[in-house]
Amino acid sequence: MRPILLAGHERALTQIKFNSDGDLLFSVSKDKIVCAWWSANGERLGTYNGHQGAIWTVDVSPNTVLLATGSADNTVRLWNVKTGECVKVWDFPTAVKRVEFSPDGSRLLAVTEKRMGFLGTIAVLDINYGDNLEDQADEPSLRITCTESKATVAGWSYLGKYIIAGHEDGSVSQYDEKTGEQLENVQAHEFDHQINDIQFSQDRTHFITASKDKSAKLISSRNLAILKTYPADTPLNSATITPKKDYVILGGGQAAMDVTTTSARQGKFEARFYHKVFEDEIGRVRGHFGPLNTVDVHPAGTAYASGGEDGYVRVHHFDKPYFDFMYEVEREQLRK
Amino acid sequence: MSKLGNRADWADDEEFDDPSALPAQQITTNKDGTKTVVSYRFNDEGKKVKVTRRIKTTVVREHVNPQVAERRSWAKFGLEKGHAPGPSFDTTSVGENIAFRPSINWKIQAQEEEKNPEKGSMKDQLKDKKVKCRICSGEHFTARCPFKDTMAPVDEPAGGAGGVEGGADEGAAAAGGLGATSGSYVPPHLRKGAAGGGERMAGKFEKDDLATLRVTNVSELAEEGELRDLFERFGRVTRVFLARDRETQRAKGFAFISFADRSDAARACEKMDGFGYRHLILRVEFAKRAT
Repeated sequence: MRPILLAGHERALTQIKFNSDGDLLFSVSKDKIVCAWWSANGERLGTYNGHQGAIWTVDVSPNTVLLATGSADNTVRLWNVKTGECVKVWDFPTAVKRVEFSPDGSRLLAVTEKRMGFLGTIAVLDINYGDNLEDQADEPSLRITCTESKATVAGWSYLGKYIIAGHEDGSVSQYDEKTGEQLENVQAHEFDHQINDIQFSQDRTHFITASKDKSAKLISSRNLAILKTYPADTPLNSATITPKKDYVILGGGQAAMDVTTTSARQGKFEARFYHKVFEDEIGRVRGHFGPLNTVDVHPAGTAYASGGEDGYVRVHHFDKPYFDFMYEVEREQLRK
Repeated sequence: MSKLGNRADWADDEEFDDPSALPAQQITTNKDGTKTVVSYRFNDEGKKVKVTRRIKTTVVREHVNPQVAERRSWAKFGLEKGHAPGPSFDTTSVGENIAFRPSINWKIQAQEEEKNPEKGSMKDQLKDKKVKCRICSGEHFTARCPFKDTMAPVDEPAGGAGGVEGGADEGAAAAGGLGATSGSYVPPHLRKGAAGGGERMAGKFEKDDLATLRVTNVSELAEEGELRDLFERFGRVTRVFLARDRETQRAKGFAFISFADRSDAARACEKMDGFGYRHLILRVEFAKRAT
């Protein structure tokens, strides 16, 4: 497969996201620009300009009308995907590390940083898709404060029933979406090893976490039971579950500050593919010059993209061997 | 050419006036459904270039969600505003082809791959190794050693020295074994499966290797007959070889004495080492196979 290299950013990528149809890819980086790309050919549709600081996170609404970004300038911005205009700015006391639309797109959660005496919070904002997109509620409808350990990432479970958050201390917690009450808390990863990414399966019944403790875990949304563990040999920044084929893709690499002192070969700047069920590593894809900060997979499972510390986004459209690979038991199952 | 006919003066015709004018583009439709486009342009050197392109048009029908189709018509915005459709070269490029085929024993394959580059970096491994002569331990290749003809290697490894004691066949086997275990170079005739020492040059001298003495510090005025007399006291001498300078015919300072019996040779070695001959003290030792 020939990757498409997208060089629209001047600094390290922080998050990339396909829209629900997979035709668009959004990327954000520390250089304050949001880019929208056509995933098929790598053409840049446009940029969303307005943030004053590094952008940490991006998400697109399920109907691809609105785009939300969270930034180090303490704002969450809502953009009109089509025109590139900013339709709403929410101010927060601290930087916003993660935003995510609920499965129906009616709500948006924003994870804020713990800093300057403010505790880390998860704020839920109601989103309105009327004729006038600028008509949005000013105040969050729900605010969950993380008193113990700040949340670093969060997402919505199936039907938006729970809010699942990954914490700085390596634990995962489940909150009720209406009351904000903490229902469960599981120490999924080693203590004090931050969870860097949470991505859900398509039906949102389970999700994968990527942690600094060099492992990724597949966890059930309902009761936070750890289903699978994928060990790696490097701290992980991102993980995603591929539809169509039962794989997971992990991205990582040693810390950015150590990059210049190690060779690309030892740096382990590779996307790792594991079989979701059998937990075996089945391959790696090389290419980046720095750690992979973020990976995302096309909703149809035909492509994946990775964004690295090197400022490049690489879009890979899978070719035949990827789809053909099967375990012997899978083949037997197919024959029956 | 009817145009030309209408004109009052042929000199007014632009086609003749302006040599820089380019003929119009011609498009012809071929039988097989392709189009041939012939166009003209000026290249960088200002020369007129005819460009013939044959274009085959295929319609690829793709069924997409209407929303996706609608999005396809969106205009570019932000930094891309006003840019022509299609990927621009400054933001989008295509990387090298990556062969990605998932497999369970991926790790083993990768390990093998990792081993290979290590082998390839032999140059790096030898980077800080020094050249050492096997004869005199000096910093030059053995082949360049000034004592190459006069001295045997000082600390010959056991495998190589095996040839001296064990005769031609055994020696070859030992050397072959050596070649198989270590990665060092083994000349073809010493490799396993090679026909012993049979094809070696000067094979006739090799036969009695095991009972040959090397005598050094021999006087320039020495004679083969004198040497034979000296050594015949210990047993039957089959051969006496005194190295001589090609031009002056003077002795070079060393000789080889071959005995019929090895025990005689051993005795001669013991007794004659340190023997005074023509004002010089002889040094006698068992000859070692030249490597």
